[in-house]
Amino acid sequence: MNRRAFVHTALHAVGLTALAPGPLGAAARPLTLQLADVTAAAGITFRHNSGAYGDKLLPETMGAGCAFVDYDRDGWLDVLLVNGMDWPGHTRARSTPRLYHNNRDGTFTDVTRQAGLDIEMYGMGVTVGDFDNDGWPDLFITAVGQSRLFRNTGKGTFVDVTTTSGLGGRQAFSTSAMWVDVDRDGRLDLFVCNYVKWAVERDVFCSADGRQKSYCTPEAFRGDTCWLFRNNGNGTFTDITATSGIFDSSAKSLGVTLVDVDGNGWPDLFVANDTQPNKLYRNQGNGTFKEGGVAAGVAFSADGRARAGMGVASIDLDGSGQPTLAVTNFDNEMAGLYRPVSPGVFRDTAVAAGIGGPSRATLGFGCAFADLDLDGAADLVVVNGHIDDTVRNLRPGATYAQAPHLFLNQGDGAFRDAAAEAGAAFARPMVARGLAVGDFDRDGDLDLLVTTNNGPCRLFRNDLANRHRSIRFRLVGTRSNRDGIGAVVRIFHGSTSQSRTVHSGGSYLSHSDLAVTFGVGLRDRIDRVVIAWPSSQFEEFPNLATGKTYVCTETRGIVVADGR
Amino acid sequence: MAGSSSPTPPLLAGLVVTLLAVIASAYYMTSQITALRTLQADVADRHRRHSLQLLRIQNNLNAIGLGMRDMLDNDGPYPLSAWSSQFARLRADLDDALHVEATLTAADIEPDQRTYLVQSVGQFWDALDRTFALDASGQTAQARDQIQVSLQARQASLSTAVARLLARNNEADAETAVRVRGIYDDVQRQVYLLIGATLATVLVTGLFVIRSNRRVFARLAALSDERRELARQVIAARESTMREVSRELHDDLGQSLTAMGSMLARVVLRLPEAADRDDLREVQVIAQATLDKVRGLSQSLHPSVIEDAGLDVAIESYLSGIERQIGVAVSFERSGAFSRVDPAVAIHVYRILQEALNNVARHARQSQARVRLAVTDASLVLEIEDHGPGLPSTNERHGLGLVGMRERATLIGGALTFTVPAGGGTCVRLTLPMPDAGAAASPAGVTA
Repeated sequence: MNRRAFVHTALHAVGLTALAPGPLGAAARPLTLQLADVTAAAGITFRHNSGAYGDKLLPETMGAGCAFVDYDRDGWLDVLLVNGMDWPGHTRARSTPRLYHNNRDGTFTDVTRQAGLDIEMYGMGVTVGDFDNDGWPDLFITAVGQSRLFRNTGKGTFVDVTTTSGLGGRQAFSTSAMWVDVDRDGRLDLFVCNYVKWAVERDVFCSADGRQKSYCTPEAFRGDTCWLFRNNGNGTFTDITATSGIFDSSAKSLGVTLVDVDGNGWPDLFVANDTQPNKLYRNQGNGTFKEGGVAAGVAFSADGRARAGMGVASIDLDGSGQPTLAVTNFDNEMAGLYRPVSPGVFRDTAVAAGIGGPSRATLGFGCAFADLDLDGAADLVVVNGHIDDTVRNLRPGATYAQAPHLFLNQGDGAFRDAAAEAGAAFARPMVARGLAVGDFDRDGDLDLLVTTNNGPCRLFRNDLANRHRSIRFRLVGTRSNRDGIGAVVRIFHGSTSQSRTVHSGGSYLSHSDLAVTFGVGLRDRIDRVVIAWPSSQFEEFPNLATGKTYVCTETRGIVVADGR
Repeated sequence: MAGSSSPTPPLLAGLVVTLLAVIASAYYMTSQITALRTLQADVADRHRRHSLQLLRIQNNLNAIGLGMRDMLDNDGPYPLSAWSSQFARLRADLDDALHVEATLTAADIEPDQRTYLVQSVGQFWDALDRTFALDASGQTAQARDQIQVSLQARQASLSTAVARLLARNNEADAETAVRVRGIYDDVQRQVYLLIGATLATVLVTGLFVIRSNRRVFARLAALSDERRELARQVIAARESTMREVSRELHDDLGQSLTAMGSMLARVVLRLPEAADRDDLREVQVIAQATLDKVRGLSQSLHPSVIEDAGLDVAIESYLSGIERQIGVAVSFERSGAFSRVDPAVAIHVYRILQEALNNVARHARQSQARVRLAVTDASLVLEIEDHGPGLPSTNERHGLGLVGMRERATLIGGALTFTVPAGGGTCVRLTLPMPDAGAAASPAGVTA
């Protein structure tokens, strides 16, 4: 019996047949939403500065990321946009990250200066987590050079604590990062991806046409190890990269996400590498990791090649509790969709699932699983854009700006690309990089924030045409880390069940809202929600109304969030 | 067919030869394909998998080399021991690759080469462990020296050894490819040979069958001609005999009986006694009756009236007595110029009429029949029609009478058909082309 049959049988046995994969070949589900570009209306005028001046330095084409973060805890998601800067000797204008405060009316106000984030850096990515468990989300912005940790003071400002936290003095080409409590001590540790050993003075000449310099592929540079920092609980971190077994000087990492492939409650780490095998670090529960990407079937493509892994996403796609992994890759490589075939073993099913074909022609970066139409089946969003602005001259048919994918879950294990049906604004080609998911207008559905390289960001408001409802949970840990990162939330309604893991990281250089959102269709209530905290605490709350956001505080119960 | 042999034995011999050739070729090709499959599966595929493992080993060695380079160029905060987990992963994969490679090593790989490789890898890991131990004991400089002096050299030596194995594998692959090509060439030649032999056999057999068929058909044609000539001669001889007997009866016996009657008439006139005269008159009556029978018999053996008065008169004369003889009333319709009918042909028409009416008497169980005779410039048509039960079914054996009718019709160049007239029964139709006025009076070879 294969896994699909096993899951079907098992779910049938417990009355959860609605989750079992349906027959293939069913009629395509129509798209019932529009993604409206409300960037201008929202007053977000940010424009990414790659610093490009003609020498085509590698970092210029790789950034940057973004985040949905409620930094002031007013219940409304704010927007953080990471920025690059001009290269030394080629300074034109000052450019910094931008923090936009949500005015609760669909508009935002740039509060970068007031928040103390008006700091020039060649930023790449961002991850948000309450590392000091004070209730206020802190920021870690990765950069080419020194990445920075900003502690949220709770007064609308951030303080750069990079040096005092012990994270200073490190120069690297850092990309995605993720807060994760690897030792489950209730304090968020920090995982940072590093791409290659690159510096302006180390840049090499690469050319796609033999004459003009072009952006190099990572083969031209040495890899660099990812970093893992243990939170000491006193505002400082200890580098446990070497002792934990994470160290790998050959890695060229761009994306990372939290998974628990063996279901033992210890967070494992899946890292996407560019031109190197992807890595799956299995948490041994003793402060060390054992790498097993090849054995798990996630290191390579289905034909055994190491691809150009960029963004990553993970989710329990079929309610079985086992994660499915998505990885975006270079064009002509196809995105990977690694479905579990047995505990801890995956198979790339991108082609069969309908993702491989459309993604072959695109160079994917940010990606995220999100139930955009709230039908109970998670969809996959992928934003694209080539790294070479001259690719049109080199390969007929290839374009620099590329349309995104909206792989709509058909409910039978297959997806179809419905991006063209989501509105002209969304389907417009972009040189996209970062992608974050969150409900900035608090209408229950999930909106998208997309960054483009050396261009504006795009805020897409999800306008649902159906009457589907959602239910959202924001976790507050007491014994676990305060963000509840690593907790598994499972809801039961009727004969169906869905689960989500609270996680930072994922996508590419970006951070999505930590709250977990479930689409429940037209249901008014769910039967119950069960939360498995990283502290091993289990909590269950029955009979909850949908259309609301709940705040679940570990061991202290559940309440409806203000205003919802 | 005296003097000719049956084509079956040569054909059977050709078939056997062909089958043997096909079986032999199939056996040869099957054995060659089996050998090819074995060669590809056991040798080529093993070489391929062996090469893949060697490439995996080489890849690991390259990764080890890069790792050592990174250790020496380390500008980060990490001690050399940080690389231990990275090398542990490489070691695990390298050891696994060596284990798999050992199961795939080709026989043409010198055992010493593998032994050297395995021992060298072990020595490398020992040296690496010592290097990490040096670093752990604070002797980082000595550890770095160890990497530069010893480990990098060992890694290079291992890479060279694996490269040699790969090169040897490539050579073995090339040799295998040559052998595979040789087998393909042999099989291809064999296929061509089989095709050629089969085509030649089919050609020879075909020509032989054509030649045999021609001979058979020629024999059949000759036999048919002989049979036709024989039938003509038999019929002619019969008619000739009957004509001679008829003439003898009419001219000889008839004259004698006529004379006997005349003499008896004269004797009767001279006898005085009435009783004697009565006795002689009875003898005279008997003689006259005998004379009439002789004349009738003569007429039936050969109706000389045909030569004397023509076919139509002969038929009319015949039919005039037929009702009395066979109990069938026959109507006669005639048209045309009967003088154009050659007596040699007419006798056969007459005989066909006789046989047809005999058949009517025997089978039709009818009291009436109709005879039509029409002669035109182009043809003579004789029809004898009755409304009896009709012709016997085709699977019943026809009597000799019908055969004789057909033979006669064929002999005079006519055609005999049997049809069913409206109302049932049988219509026997003889159609005979009439010769041109200036042409010979009788068909070639027809005599009566």
